[in-house]
Amino acid sequence: MTEPILQLKGLKASIADQPEVQILHGIDLEIAPGEIHAVMGPNGSGKSTMASTIAGSPSYVVDEGQVLLNGEDITAAAADERARKGVFLSFQYPTPIPGVTMVNLLREALKARRGEEMPAREFLEELRATLSRLKMPEEMARRYVNEGFSGGEKKRAEILQMGMLRPSLAILDETDSGLDVDALRTVAEGVMALREPNMGILIITHYERILNYITPDKVHILVKGKIVKSGDASLAKEIEANGYDPILKELGLLEGATA
Amino acid sequence: MADATLSTSYTEAAVVAASKERGEPGWLTEKRAESARAFEALPMPTTKLRPWKYTDVSSLAIESFAPDAAFEPVVSGVGPQGAFIGSLAEAAADATFGPIVEQHLGSLIPATEGKFIAANAAQWQHGAFVYASRAKAFEEPVTITLEASSGAVYPRLLVVAEAASDVTVIVRCVSGEDAVLASQVVEVIAGADSNVKLVFDVDWGLGTQEFTTVRAKTDRGADVRIATLAIGGALVKQSLEGILEGEGSQARIRGVALGDGTQHFDFVTLQDHVGAKTQSDVQIKTALAGSSQSIYYGVTRVEETGLGAAAEQENRNLLLSRNAKADSDPVLEILTNDVIRCGHGATVGPVDQEAFFYLQSRGLDRRQAMKLLVAGFFNSVLSDVGDDALREEVAAEVEQKLAVASI
Repeated sequence: MTEPILQLKGLKASIADQPEVQILHGIDLEIAPGEIHAVMGPNGSGKSTMASTIAGSPSYVVDEGQVLLNGEDITAAAADERARKGVFLSFQYPTPIPGVTMVNLLREALKARRGEEMPAREFLEELRATLSRLKMPEEMARRYVNEGFSGGEKKRAEILQMGMLRPSLAILDETDSGLDVDALRTVAEGVMALREPNMGILIITHYERILNYITPDKVHILVKGKIVKSGDASLAKEIEANGYDPILKELGLLEGATA
Repeated sequence: MADATLSTSYTEAAVVAASKERGEPGWLTEKRAESARAFEALPMPTTKLRPWKYTDVSSLAIESFAPDAAFEPVVSGVGPQGAFIGSLAEAAADATFGPIVEQHLGSLIPATEGKFIAANAAQWQHGAFVYASRAKAFEEPVTITLEASSGAVYPRLLVVAEAASDVTVIVRCVSGEDAVLASQVVEVIAGADSNVKLVFDVDWGLGTQEFTTVRAKTDRGADVRIATLAIGGALVKQSLEGILEGEGSQARIRGVALGDGTQHFDFVTLQDHVGAKTQSDVQIKTALAGSSQSIYYGVTRVEETGLGAAAEQENRNLLLSRNAKADSDPVLEILTNDVIRCGHGATVGPVDQEAFFYLQSRGLDRRQAMKLLVAGFFNSVLSDVGDDALREEVAAEVEQKLAVASI
């Protein structure tokens, strides 16, 4: 049997600056090669913490448990090391990098990921192809990273990086937030088009909207830092129809949680 | 430095004798004498003077640095008809250009203004003079290379741009590891509707201490841009000043510095809005590694006559290590109610942690991420320099320096 792309084993994590505030209370998750998983949950359930912790954000500390990538324990690895090993995080709020063009960033990131400079011609060809898949004008690549980008442009630029870096695990943190229907479709179709056959995808979302375009193999409901229910794509449809309350009620968790 | 051997070249008698020996015109010898007297009479600046608050030169004796007789700026470039590109001393003795030099030399920065300036006025030897005649544009930048080896060097530059002319001057500063004192004075007379661009590529060795005053005066509609890119030097103190006299004239002052070790940068800027509808824009950015430090003191002054002026003043300091430090003090002196806008901003702090994590999440290690952030930080200034070769050179210098800097 092939190794799972991602395994979370009893993952508990807290805020680095406030170690007494634990956000994730023991998460178990396994994504096989080529699988798409969606983690859904109400606000404040710990979805973004989970995404950031897997990516190695210094804002969170792991109290217990493990993160394994392709069978390798990366729990103690720094963010850049994880990225070089194949973790990619599409940010919910991509940070502007003043004075650094997307081309510049991509070249550096590819150099880091591959351990060597990518030939200029090959790089340009791939960049052009990836841009066109995302319906992005070439001019976007010459602009400063996320500076003055619209919400849709920022999310597309994230997927552009995913497409160029070819990670083994892509974490899409609220990639659908702030997008109108057309932009959402473009981004979602871009994800599907740029996905490598073995890439694992973890979609973090509040709404099921994006799942209308990207069908997940598994859906997990995260509440108060724990996965309380897992199922197939129909679970997302259930939430679309009825919201989180019925599930929370069924599990006796409704009190204190907001939908 | 009290026990150091003092050079005898600084006395009035020695200065006058040297001037005569070089065969300088009488008016210049007279200026030399006056400068030597000013040098003798003026005290060293103390930290009580605001522009010198954080740069203590009390233990520095200018006279302990003998003027380097071999120092000669290398001036190169091709100018349009009527232009002069070359030695200031030769221009001063020239029948055509002598009167122009006489009229302007020391007119913006009188020798009596300060000790370092007086030393320069008395001691400069070859100097550089760039003259752009009326309505003529230089196709290529003029390059002035200042190569110092040891002792004191006194680079002197006079730029006179007649009406509607267009000229760019690039000053490259290099030296070895030996102790060098560089006291530089640069005057720019920008005629009506002229475009003057002045770039300093400061790449001194780590034994060099630089004290520079650059002052540009603008006539109606003139556009002056001054940029300094400071990478080298033990101590770099530059005062970059625009005196906006002519209506609708503008000055843009840019500076970047990348420090490491114990490098000390001190930038002073002045945006003096004398004329109506004048515009100025100052941006000084530093990135500091090791125990380096940067000081910024800038004054935006809008005189009573500066109606409808617009000014921006910005100083950003990026601390790349725990021991680096920066002090920033932008000052506004607005003497009229009629200004379009007058903004200023200053920041001192470490790199943005979110941006840092973003780059790390793309696989860049700490140093690679720092390099990219600093390169980006400087980019706005570098892209403004407009000279691609120079920009690439500086970008490479930044990259090289950050590859080993203590961050």
